[in-house]
Amino acid sequence: MRRIFVFITLIIISTASLMAGGSLLLKNGTILTVTRGVIPKGDILIIDGLIKQIGENIAPPPGVKVIDLNGKYVIPGIIDSHTHIALAGTNETGDTITAEVNMRDVIDAEDISIFTALSGGVTTIHTLHGSANPIGGQNITLKLKWGKKAEEMIFSQAWPTLKFALGENVTQANRQVSPGEERRYPASRMGVMAIIRRELEKAKNYMAEWDRYQELKKMKILNRPLLPPRRDLRLEALADLLRGKLVARCHSYRADETIEFIKLSHEFGFRIACFEHIPEAYKIAKELAAEKIGISVFMDNWAYKVEAAQGIATMPAFCTQQGVLVSLNSDSNERIRRLFNDAAKAIKYGGLSEDEALKLITLNPAIQLGVDKWVGSIEVGKHGDLAVFNEHPLSSYTRCEMTIIEGEVYFDREAYLREREEAQKAEPKTKAQGGVQ
Amino acid sequence: MRAKKICFIFLLSLFLFSTISALKGPTYAIINCRIVSPPLPVIEKGVIIIRDGLIQEVGVQGKVNIPEDAEIIEAEGMIAYPGLINAHTNLFLEPIQEQAQQPGAPPRAQTPAERRPPEPDLLVLKQIKPKKTDLDNFHKIGVTTVLIAPQRGIFAGQSVLINLNGEKIEEMVVKNPVALHVQLVTERGGYPNSLMGTMAYLRQSFLDASHYAEHLSTWSKSPRFLMRPLYNAFLEALIPYVVEKKPIIFTCNNQEDIKRVIRLSQEFKLRTIISGANEAWRVADDLKEAKLPLLITLNFRPPTTSIYATRGEALRRQAEQEIYPRNAAELQKLGLTFALTSFGLSDASAFQKNIQQAIKAGLTAEAALKALTIVPAQILGVDSFMGTIEVGKIANIVLCKGEIFDPKGQVEKVWVDGRLFKIEKAPEAKAPAAFSVAGSWRVTIASPMGEMEMTMELEQEGSSVQGQLISNYGRWEIRDGHLSGQELNFSVSIEIMGQTIEAAFHGRVEKDLIEGTVQIPGGSADFRAIRIPRSL
Repeated sequence: MRRIFVFITLIIISTASLMAGGSLLLKNGTILTVTRGVIPKGDILIIDGLIKQIGENIAPPPGVKVIDLNGKYVIPGIIDSHTHIALAGTNETGDTITAEVNMRDVIDAEDISIFTALSGGVTTIHTLHGSANPIGGQNITLKLKWGKKAEEMIFSQAWPTLKFALGENVTQANRQVSPGEERRYPASRMGVMAIIRRELEKAKNYMAEWDRYQELKKMKILNRPLLPPRRDLRLEALADLLRGKLVARCHSYRADETIEFIKLSHEFGFRIACFEHIPEAYKIAKELAAEKIGISVFMDNWAYKVEAAQGIATMPAFCTQQGVLVSLNSDSNERIRRLFNDAAKAIKYGGLSEDEALKLITLNPAIQLGVDKWVGSIEVGKHGDLAVFNEHPLSSYTRCEMTIIEGEVYFDREAYLREREEAQKAEPKTKAQGGVQ
Repeated sequence: MRAKKICFIFLLSLFLFSTISALKGPTYAIINCRIVSPPLPVIEKGVIIIRDGLIQEVGVQGKVNIPEDAEIIEAEGMIAYPGLINAHTNLFLEPIQEQAQQPGAPPRAQTPAERRPPEPDLLVLKQIKPKKTDLDNFHKIGVTTVLIAPQRGIFAGQSVLINLNGEKIEEMVVKNPVALHVQLVTERGGYPNSLMGTMAYLRQSFLDASHYAEHLSTWSKSPRFLMRPLYNAFLEALIPYVVEKKPIIFTCNNQEDIKRVIRLSQEFKLRTIISGANEAWRVADDLKEAKLPLLITLNFRPPTTSIYATRGEALRRQAEQEIYPRNAAELQKLGLTFALTSFGLSDASAFQKNIQQAIKAGLTAEAALKALTIVPAQILGVDSFMGTIEVGKIANIVLCKGEIFDPKGQVEKVWVDGRLFKIEKAPEAKAPAAFSVAGSWRVTIASPMGEMEMTMELEQEGSSVQGQLISNYGRWEIRDGHLSGQELNFSVSIEIMGQTIEAAFHGRVEKDLIEGTVQIPGGSADFRAIRIPRSL
């Protein structure tokens, strides 16, 4: 009995140390929990990074900092399911298939876009390889802990994902080739599908080769030299996809090729977490809902290029109403600071409810990344990731005032503006540098 | 018969003697000098006997027998130091020459045909062309030994350690190869062409080398029933470093790159030495934990990817002048050991200046001396015969009037492998008064795409030159400006259309005319500057 107690204590201690976040008490906020309705005048207590209590008139535990929100709006930290910020580089275009490259290797913790994103209430991002290659690289989910080390930003519980891309970007990735350089295969949509299938076949063979080796090794009867197969990091990533250790995130615009890719996933037995952008999703909403594949889309940008020509403004709302898991993404270091405006547009164009609209930038992307157990709504036990707004976050006049990750304030508009003013006074000539120290 | 035998032995010994001590020179006795060779205790009034390229004896005056044949060097009031070791240079190598490009134009895409294959098997020794002026310049600041590293690509090749004892390569080589050099650079044209690709490519290469080695050894044990491995020069060159764990010198500066190298070397259990690392203080905790040997460059320019380089020229300049010079001092404060190198600096005098600047920024002179003698000797695995003034070690000795890193200190004599080099008094001390480049100049650069006009404003203080280059595209600060006799050298970072181009100017000054060349990545061009008369 006692040993069990010790064991449990140890577990508690170890999880607590994993989440060595801050403690805060936010008082008198208008809390939009997203999953449990609105609390008009409520408090949120965060202890060691986790939400401990939500309610009214919570007494501050000793030593915990109290912030009075004076009725300001609190929502769960915004999650951007598709962006390319905080990376040193976006594409490895040296080859068509580059599943071996990993964004974990190139996190740029000092990218100023992290600060920009925080100023728009974003707390978690999924930052991906670009869309130049049919199979790009392995992506990473980060908490935007501005000022912390790169490795401290990694949201380790998130699913490891692998980027795929179809359509124009891939076929035109090197439309302008240098003299002497051959244009890269594939240059058509059919070529893209063919090369992905070919690579997945290779991965299957690779897995079989290793299985055969393991069997021979076990047998130990052959009096012959046995050499392990060559480890191939590219095929190993694809083998991980086929084994279910990686999930696919596929950049896709047109309905037809999206359906083709779904068929391919059935053929090879891998999981697609999400299609990216996909302006034609409304044409295949039923299929996506049945497959339980999410979509991570632009609110605007319909008809911004040929393969987006059939995009419509009501697509995100319509797909939501059809039962598709929809999130709104930025894909940009500018749009990332106003995702809440984009969410509001889904009310105007398609008539979503406020909660449904907020879910597009909170809970839904959390589910798409496999982290909804920890983030995406304001609930006891989840991470203390919050964004505070001066007005209703879906109002055109709203502004993000404060962004909190795991109980620590990473953006405070008032404090930042004050600092900037002082810096300008001290040194009128130099322009203030956003967020540096 | 017996006489014949003796004669034979005599001849034989003569023969042996002459082959073994190819570096045989006169015997020297340096007397009355202060001997400073950390971590050994200082000898206040000491004697050093140099014979056949080695230190025959060291000790306190009076306790050391002075051989009759020795040439006596009276060194009253002078200090003897071990010869300095500069553990990362590109000395005696041709600067990287690529196809000429219009200055200011964005870098032209490199085609796969132009991309050089990786060359881990390249021995840089084969590319060395010793030059007397470089040799003299390093002697002047007390450097007797340099590591010469290959310069190009991710797998750049293997380095060599040489003593600056003359111009015959065979006599200069101390250790070859020293290490494999891997650079965290992004190449163009082909795979990989991004940092993420470089990381994946390094991993795959290390795995392939291990697999190749395993295949070779399995096959050599039982060649029947196993196909031989296909010969692969690239992987063959990697085996000693990846499998047998000989040292790999990774070149990187950016703090994130340093962490990338730490992770990579832990992943593959490599014997890693980090070179460059001018942002090391920012990741000192990680470095302390990783316990990797460090060759810290005294190039104070922030890496182009650092926040100190990407958030405005004001911050970049401040960083270069105030923040990066503190790197070594910060590392010392945190208890890290490191060697100091001139990697990335234009010449010996810039190295000397920056050593002094690092000391001014808080590095102790003793730590600086260790970082240029015993520590690099240990890191490069030559400390059993170099790096301190001890009996039996190679006679690399610097004799100095005043302290070596003191701006007033003056290197008088240098012994390299027991060979004496007398340092000529720099004419600089008198020269600056006779010559001044201060003023305004009209500069014309004859680029392959036509002539470019700009104005240059120069100020001069002694031999150091400051100023600006002014063109229609912007104003650029002149760095590392130095006038030596009639030779003017300076660098400029030309920032144009979001690109930064490093340009190194070398010119000869005639009263109102400067003529010379400007080196930029990918080529060079002639330039000419005419003094603009001061209007009254």
